[in-house]
Amino acid sequence: MTVITHLEERGSNRAEFDPLGGIETMKTLFIAAAFGLAATAASAEQTEIRVHYAIPTIWAETQDKLAAAFMEKHPDIKIVIDGPAEGYADGVQRLLREAVAGTAPDVAYVGLNRWRILEDRGLTKPVDDFIGDKAGEMGYTPALLSLGSYEGKQHALGTSASTLVMYVNPTLVEQAGGSMDDFPTTYDGIIELAAKINALGDNIDGVWIGRHDWRFQSLLGAHGGRPMTEDESDITFDSEAGLKAAGLYQRFVKEAGMKPYGQNEARQALPAGTLGIMFESSSLQKRFEEGAGDAFELTVKPTPIVAEDKETVYFPTGGSAIVLMTDDEAKQKAAWEYIAFVTGPDGQKIIVENTGYAPANAKVIEDKAYLGAFYDANPNSLVAHTQVANHAGPWFAYPGAEGVAVTDLIAAAMVEIAEGADTDATVKDLAETLRLQLGMK
Amino acid sequence: MRRLPLAARDALTNTWLVGPATLAMLMFIFLPVLIVAVLSFTDYQFGARSFGWIGLENYEKLFGSALGRRAITNTLLYVAIVIPAAVGLGLLVALGLHRMMDWAPQLSNVLRSVYFLPVAATLVAMSVAWQMVLHPSLGVVNQTLVGLGGEPRNWLSDRSIVLYTLAVIGIWQTVGYNMVLFLAGLVAIPPELYDAAEVDGAGGNWSRFWTVTWPMLGPTTLFVLVITATNAFRVFETVATLTQGGPAFASDTLVYALYREGFVYFKAGYASAITMVFFAVLLTLTLMQFRIVERRVHYR
Repeated sequence: MTVITHLEERGSNRAEFDPLGGIETMKTLFIAAAFGLAATAASAEQTEIRVHYAIPTIWAETQDKLAAAFMEKHPDIKIVIDGPAEGYADGVQRLLREAVAGTAPDVAYVGLNRWRILEDRGLTKPVDDFIGDKAGEMGYTPALLSLGSYEGKQHALGTSASTLVMYVNPTLVEQAGGSMDDFPTTYDGIIELAAKINALGDNIDGVWIGRHDWRFQSLLGAHGGRPMTEDESDITFDSEAGLKAAGLYQRFVKEAGMKPYGQNEARQALPAGTLGIMFESSSLQKRFEEGAGDAFELTVKPTPIVAEDKETVYFPTGGSAIVLMTDDEAKQKAAWEYIAFVTGPDGQKIIVENTGYAPANAKVIEDKAYLGAFYDANPNSLVAHTQVANHAGPWFAYPGAEGVAVTDLIAAAMVEIAEGADTDATVKDLAETLRLQLGMK
Repeated sequence: MRRLPLAARDALTNTWLVGPATLAMLMFIFLPVLIVAVLSFTDYQFGARSFGWIGLENYEKLFGSALGRRAITNTLLYVAIVIPAAVGLGLLVALGLHRMMDWAPQLSNVLRSVYFLPVAATLVAMSVAWQMVLHPSLGVVNQTLVGLGGEPRNWLSDRSIVLYTLAVIGIWQTVGYNMVLFLAGLVAIPPELYDAAEVDGAGGNWSRFWTVTWPMLGPTTLFVLVITATNAFRVFETVATLTQGGPAFASDTLVYALYREGFVYFKAGYASAITMVFFAVLLTLTLMQFRIVERRVHYR
């Protein structure tokens, strides 16, 4: 009512010098209203999809490019990107909060080891019906699908992947009498070389690996072991493979003089040129290459494989996955179009070129038309991405409420082993503790 | 219209003045604390749709489990190092700078700013600087140590020294703040008291300090103690940025454990129990301050 009164007043005021003023105002109002209606009609045809992502330092530009490329192909769908979360941990917290408040986004990029938290609370919608029997055709290999499936349902699709690789400083290797062409492919060889590098000086270190659940799982997978049985009812890393993998922590310290650096300290030492060999996530490649600059030619080597049967080898894969969260059927359809695009070759090309992560789609690697030129220019990426394509496996998340908490216990056990505790006893104790804490006994 | 009696009008005015702030405090402090208190008796998981009542189990876990106990003892050890060192050094620096005002006021001012810098700087950013300084092979500290013929140490990744390293950083951060508070206290001491002390025969530095300065600084010292204690109990930024509680929980503290359990493990019930314990400690400190201020630190 107030609005109308106000308009009438203005109309009569104007009438003093423009008799038609009042009518003009009304006319404009009608036109505006008509346009407003038309606009609403248009937006009803256009489905809006809200997207959540994390780690803007890596993803901000890539997300904009993905959204722009997608909307160009699908003008009927509008992508709205939420303000990003600082990291994957923050991101999941926010998604949980938003789900409680009923304001969750339609699709979300989450850490590959964290989508189970959402699945556990019933927040992810399986996409099996959308994929149907076309998985192979779309470039989703069984290894890649395994990253996002649980109990036979596809809850998440990988969007970017990284595994544990070796970063090598060739200058130090050559100073120590080693050769990059004949680089060791066994742990014994690595330890021998690392010891020689370590002897180069007080400030020079031979080798470093993080005392951390994911790193341990990677070494375990290289030995052909698994952390749990397939039905997640028992811990299996106290096997021979597990003991050997954990034992490497002690051998690195005793035989190659590995220092107990924290993650940040090691990540400073490598680009500074004082660390010879570093086992780290392939996602850090760009950062390390930039850090090393012209000082040395940072080289990526695949993580050595021990298991005789190569089929048993897997590398737990870090990176991100995309999940479908909306309940609305129309939105689900539009959201699937978006998911299919970003996990398809076109979207994956954008992601690889902009983030340095390995793709989570086989087609984009097989077909040279997509990334051939990129790999020619980035041989280090080819090494890392080939390892992902050959041996990608799920980053096992331990089940239940204590699932995340036990990963810190694993890390603590690796610290103890590295500092000289008996490997067999420590690993077996750890397995028992986990069985109790996870309610497997 | 009949006017209300004076007392009633006064009461209305008072309500009007105090009401909004009280309401805000109830809404934004007491109500959340109450909810957290209730949650601490449940096994609620962040984001879950249901929860069960488990009584005092969360508290039993905090005080009974190895991890919970380690967080508590680590925090107590940290506090026990930081409080005396930060208060003592703060007082020493303040006394020094206060006397320096007489013969080199410019230099005293410059030094005052220098000591205050750590307080003004963001602790998270400063932590990154500390990380560089303490780096095992690239850091200035170890390079100096080696240069002097010492043995390099892993300041942040050796389980036996990491907590002490964090305590030293905590002291470095607090001394400047305590110094400013003590300086304010020193300036407020009337010079006549020193004259009177001299007339009474207390002319030496020590006797001046013990008979005039120290008693007159009583209220300031108490305030500084309580502030330092609350800050020390709250230690979080350095732990989160430098060690993440590690290696192997060697630098886990109460507030970091609270963050870890609640926001990394999503165990909201257990994290609430830690919050309640932490809240109780801070409340005790505050009440102690009030009571002692009421009784002791008067010099009438």
